Amino acid sequence: MTSLVFLIPLSVLILIGAGVALFWAINRGQFDDLETPGLLPLSDSDDTPRERQ
Amino acid sequence: MTGACWHCGESLPPDPPQANVAGIRHAVCCNGCRAVAEWIADLGLADYYRLRAGPAARAPDPRAVKASAAAFLRPELSRHLVRPLADGHSEAIVLIDGMHCTACCWLIERTLERLAGVVDVSVNAGARRLRIVFDGRALPLARIIDALGRVGYRALPLDRDALDDTRRRETRYAQKRLAVAGFGAMQAMMYASALWFGAFDGADAATRDFFRWLTLLATTPVVFYSAGPFFAGAVRLVKARRLGMDVPVALAVALIYGGSVIEILTGGPDIWLESVSMFIFFLCAGRYLEMRARHHAGDLSDALARLTPVFADRVEADGTLLRVGAFELVPGDRVVVGEGGSVPADGVLETDQCRVDEALLCGEPTPRHRRRGEALCAGSIVVGAPATVRVTRVGADTVVAGIVALTTRAASSKPRLARAGERAAAGFVARVLVLATCTAIGWAIVDPAHALAATVAVLVVACPCAFALAAPAAATRALAVLTARGVLVVRPDALEDLASVTHVVFDKTGTLTEPAIARDRVITRRGIDRDAAVAIAAALAQGARHPLARAFVAAAPATLPAVEARESVAGRGIGGLVGGRRYRLGRADYALERESCPSNLEEAVVLTDADGVVAAFHIDERLRPGACAAVDALVRAGIHLTIASGDTKARVEAVAGRLGIAAWHARQSPTDKLALLASLRARGARVAVVGDGVNDAPVLAGADVAAAVGTAADAAQAASDIVITGRLDALAEARAVARQTLSILVQNRRWALCYNLATVPLAALGMVPPWLAAIGMSASSLAVVVNALRIGTVEETPVEGEAVVRQSALA
Repeated sequence: MTSLVFLIPLSVLILIGAGVALFWAINRGQFDDLETPGLLPLSDSDDTPRERQ
Repeated sequence: MTGACWHCGESLPPDPPQANVAGIRHAVCCNGCRAVAEWIADLGLADYYRLRAGPAARAPDPRAVKASAAAFLRPELSRHLVRPLADGHSEAIVLIDGMHCTACCWLIERTLERLAGVVDVSVNAGARRLRIVFDGRALPLARIIDALGRVGYRALPLDRDALDDTRRRETRYAQKRLAVAGFGAMQAMMYASALWFGAFDGADAATRDFFRWLTLLATTPVVFYSAGPFFAGAVRLVKARRLGMDVPVALAVALIYGGSVIEILTGGPDIWLESVSMFIFFLCAGRYLEMRARHHAGDLSDALARLTPVFADRVEADGTLLRVGAFELVPGDRVVVGEGGSVPADGVLETDQCRVDEALLCGEPTPRHRRRGEALCAGSIVVGAPATVRVTRVGADTVVAGIVALTTRAASSKPRLARAGERAAAGFVARVLVLATCTAIGWAIVDPAHALAATVAVLVVACPCAFALAAPAAATRALAVLTARGVLVVRPDALEDLASVTHVVFDKTGTLTEPAIARDRVITRRGIDRDAAVAIAAALAQGARHPLARAFVAAAPATLPAVEARESVAGRGIGGLVGGRRYRLGRADYALERESCPSNLEEAVVLTDADGVVAAFHIDERLRPGACAAVDALVRAGIHLTIASGDTKARVEAVAGRLGIAAWHARQSPTDKLALLASLRARGARVAVVGDGVNDAPVLAGADVAAAVGTAADAAQAASDIVITGRLDALAEARAVARQTLSILVQNRRWALCYNLATVPLAALGMVPPWLAAIGMSASSLAVVVNALRIGTVEETPVEGEAVVRQSALA
C-alpha cells in the first residue's frame, strides 16, 4: 500500500502536465482547424494553403 | 460593493464621481462612466443594470470614440460597410467590441432603435455582429457608431481577422473545457472504482477518505472551470426571470457537488463526484458538437468573405501596374488578375477569354469559360491565363458581399422552429423543477437518506437538453449543407415551408432557359448594319436586369454608344436616346406603340425608332444546366410542375415539351401569374415559385416559398426566400434536405420525449442512481446532435462530394 503514496501523487502530476501541454497546444492553434489538414495531402497543387498566413 | 465602479466594476478613485440613476446615487470611477450610466438611465434603459451578467466595459476615452466615429466617415470605409437595399434604405453589418452578454445586446438594440432614421436593428450576441438597416440620407453611419460609443461599445469594420478571432476564442475555450472535463472525469472515475472495489475488500477508513479527497481534487476543476458557462447562463436566466436548460443543469451540478462535499466532511456513506464530472463532460461534448455545426455554417460565409483579395494590381494611365488596396478601386478602374489570383471586384472581362473557378460562389465545381465582355464576380479565381478586368462594382455592392450579407442575415434571425423549441424547453424546465421539488419533499417524508440522490436523479435525467438542442442543431446543420450546395436560405422559415411544397411554378426565361441572340437571324431594315443594330439594342439593354437584356449585352461588342433619357416598362421593353435618336426595344406591341402587332414580328424582339422598325431579333433558347435533372427529380418526388411565362405560346410549348411538363401558361402578365398562384393555393396546394428573383418579384412575394435562380449577380437583390446560385437541380436537393431536416427534427423530439417519459418516474422513485442518470441524459443529448449531423448525408452525388472537398480545402 505504501507504493500508493508515491504513485498517486505522480499520476496527479502527470495529469497536470498533460493538461498544461494540451492547453499550450490549443492556445497555439493546433486544434483550430480539424478538417483542412486532413485534406491537404489530397490536393494536387503545390502551393501552400491560402489561409492562416 | 465598496471600491468598485457601479458601471464598469473597476476600482474607485479616492473621491469618486456620483452617477444619479433613478434618484439613487452610485459611485463610479470616472466621468465617462457617469455620463454613460446617466445616459442609459435617461434613455429609460436602466433595466440593463439588472439584466447584465458582468460589469460593463469602462467608458472609453471620448477622444478615441470620436476618432473611431471619424474613421467611419471616410468614404472608402463606409462604401465597404454600407450596402444599399432595394427599398432605398441602407444596411451595414459591423462587429461590436466590448459585448459580454445578452444584456449588452438588449442595450445596443434599444439605444439604436431610438435614433431617428433607424429602421431595423438586430444584434447577434454569439457572433458579436450588429446588423442595422437605416435611412442613409437622414442618418450617416458615423452617428450610429457615435451612439454605440456613448454606451461604451466600439464598432469595428467586419474584417476577416476580427471574424476569425471571435470564433477562434470560442473554439479554444470550448476545447479547453472539454479537455479539463475529460481528464477530470477519467481520474474521478478511476478513484471511484477504487472506492467501489475497496468497499468490497473492506479497506480501512483512512484509505477510503484519501481516495475521496482525491476524487474531490479531480472533480473541482471540472465543476468550476468546465461547468462555468452553465452557471453563468443559469444566473443570467434567473436574473432575466426566464427558464432555460442551464437552470436545472446548474442546480443539479451544485446540489451533487455540495452534497458530496458534505458527505466527505461528515464521513457519510455516498458520494457522487464521479457522476457529476461525467455529466459535465458529456454536456460539454454535446455543446462542442453543436458549436462545431454552428461554426461550420458561419465558416462558409466567411470563406466567401475571405475570397476577395486585399490587394489589386491596377493599370495606371501610363500602362504600368500599381499595387493598391482592393478598397481603393472605383468603378471604371482596370485591374490585372494573375493566373490563380482572385478577382478583387466585380467587373467585365477585357481580355479575349479566360476560365474562372466560381466553386464557392455557386457550388459549380468545374471552372467556367468567360469571353470578352462577360461579367466576372469578385472572389472568383482566374484559371489558365491572366485576365484584365474593368471594375464595375466594388465593396459592399459586389455579388460576394451581397451573398455574405444574405447568409449573415439568415443566420442572425432565429427560425420559427428554434423559437418553438425554446418555448417548449422553458415550459419543460418549469415542470422538471416542480417535479424535483415534489420528489425532494416526498423522500424527505419517507426516507430522508435518499432524498438528495433521488432529487438529483430527477433533475439530471429530465434535463431537457436533448429537447432544446433538437431544433437548433437540425436547422444549423441544414443551412450549412444547403449553402455548400449553392442554395442560400435567406428566410430560415423557408426550410419548413419548402418541405411541404406540393406545386412548383417555374418562370421560363432566365429560369428554365437562357436566352441568346441568334446573330444570323437578325433582320434589319433601311440598310442598317447588323452589328450596329445589335450595338444600339445592347446600349439600351445595358444595366437592365431582364435575362433577354443580358443576352443583348453578351452579343454586342465591348464599347457601346451612350444612352440618354433611358426609360423602361416592366415586362414590355426599354427605350432611350442613342446618338440623338429615340429608340425603343422590346415586344413588338411596345416598340411600335400599338395594341396589336404584325404576326411576323410576334416571336421577335423589335428595335424601333420614330420611323418604324429598325431591326428584329430572334432569340435562341437553351435549357439552363440542371433544368432537366431538376424537373425529373421533382416529378419523381411527386410534385406538380407548372410553367408560367410571359413569352409566346409556341416558345413556352416547346420548352414545356422538351422538359415534359404538361401544365403551362403562356403570355402571362405578373397579374395573371398571381391569379394562377391564388387559384392553386385556393385548392390547398403549397406553392413554390421559381423565378429570376428580379423581374418577377411581385409574383415571388405571393408564393409560399419564393426561390430565385440567380446567376449570382442578382442573388443579393433577389426578393426571395431561397436563392439558387448554381445548377437548377439544387432545388430538388434543397427540398430533400428540408424534408430530411423536418423528419430528423420529429425523430429528435420524439426521442427526447420518450426518454423523459420513461426515465423520470423511475428517477423520482429513487430507482436510478445519479451516475446512471448522468449517462442517460448526456447520451440522449449526444444522440440528438449526432442525429442532426446526418442531415445532408443522403443522395450525395460524386460531383457534390467533390465540391464540398474543394470548399473545405479553401475555407
